[in-house]
Amino acid sequence: MGRNIHFEIFRYNPQDTASIPRMQTYFLEETINMTLFIALTRLREEQDPSLVFDFCCRAGICGSCAMVINGRPGLACQTQIKNMPGHISLHPLPVFKIIGDLSVDTGVWFREMYRKTESWIHTRAEVDPTLEEARMDNAVAEEIYELERCIECGCCIAACGTANLRPDFMGAAALNRIARFMIDPRDERSEREYFDIIGTDFGIFGCMGLLACEDVCPKQLPLQDQLGFLRRKMGFAALRQIFKTSRPA
Amino acid sequence: MAGTATMLYAHPQAHPRRDACLDWLQMITGACLVIFMWCHMLLVSSVLVGPALMDAIAWFFEATYLVQAGGPVIFVCFLAHFILAARKIPFTAGDQEIAWTHARMLRHRDTWLWMVQMVTAMFILVMGAIHMWVVLNDLPITAERSAARVASGGWLWFYFILLPLAELHVSVGAYRIGVKWGFISRQNRPKAKRIELCMFVVFMVIGVGTLLVFNHMATVLSAGRGV
Repeated sequence: MGRNIHFEIFRYNPQDTASIPRMQTYFLEETINMTLFIALTRLREEQDPSLVFDFCCRAGICGSCAMVINGRPGLACQTQIKNMPGHISLHPLPVFKIIGDLSVDTGVWFREMYRKTESWIHTRAEVDPTLEEARMDNAVAEEIYELERCIECGCCIAACGTANLRPDFMGAAALNRIARFMIDPRDERSEREYFDIIGTDFGIFGCMGLLACEDVCPKQLPLQDQLGFLRRKMGFAALRQIFKTSRPA
Repeated sequence: MAGTATMLYAHPQAHPRRDACLDWLQMITGACLVIFMWCHMLLVSSVLVGPALMDAIAWFFEATYLVQAGGPVIFVCFLAHFILAARKIPFTAGDQEIAWTHARMLRHRDTWLWMVQMVTAMFILVMGAIHMWVVLNDLPITAERSAARVASGGWLWFYFILLPLAELHVSVGAYRIGVKWGFISRQNRPKAKRIELCMFVVFMVIGVGTLLVFNHMATVLSAGRGV
């Protein structure tokens, strides 16, 4: 006999003008190996078919089921009910546009992030598709892969004090993306070009170092170290630019 | 970005390196004030060893004009640091609500420490300015004068409030500089947190001890004069 878990879930349908944001209570008996994703699916199937939440892979890969779980952004599928208290409150991720209940639109935000960071390899090299791909040093490839593991769930953005206050702050996901291209030897962007993207208060200098991104990231990406690296790199880039421009031609 | 993410943002800047420069200045003024506060603590806590030592150190700083020149410089640094850091402080009622709701929701130590920095900053701005004005208008600095001030009026309570606020702000600020500029990495962050806490506790103990010694000194001195 498992615990009877008390759920308090945020309900709101922005498309229904009569809908008022409110918290709704549900009870569900805990079963062995129950994740929050399983609990939500059961609540929807057994108690309330109108409950809206996102899911896809149920294995911490797609990033769809990110939500605020007892105050902390996290993935429902990675949350084991046995590690949770008997009372669980669920909210949608802040910062993002709400679709309904626990579902938010992270897609539009991330699409905009790709556009801002120009999230692709910038190169003038001609690629011959008939030839074998150019080889990359294994250590560099591993380093890039470590940052590439981002699943774009949006937890780092929802947990960020600055992102909550400034809607156009780029946040850890975007800054991590830039760090990923910086260490990629194929990307030919100059320091100046990177500076133009993130060298403002909307980029790395807006980061206040609260490290909630680092602490909530469900993939444990090394966000803290990337943010420190970028601030130093961009800080010194600014100094170099100043001394360059102030030198007589 | 809720609801507005599809908009194109244009942020025309008169100076492309403005934010970088302001961030550097915020860090540099902050670091200078942290170092100053540690030196300041060394000076005043030297009274724990003996008033003669404190007088000797104070005399050295004055004979070399470090107080007369350095005092106003620190005051400017103090105001500049406030203005620079205030760029990030949510001042409007709406932003305050977002910040407090966010901190309460997240229950995250480093986010709460930022709220602490924000609140202590406001008190330090006023109380620190009062303290600097009073001290710099009553030179030279001697153990006896400091003791007399601490023991007069409500000054002991004034300093009992200012001390923890300043020490909190200094230790959290030092930790934050380390995090933001990458001196503190994921690997050494737990250690840095412990150091931050230790620094706060040690400086609080020394600070409270110093205030009590000043207060005691003043009592002894006035008794000696038969006041």
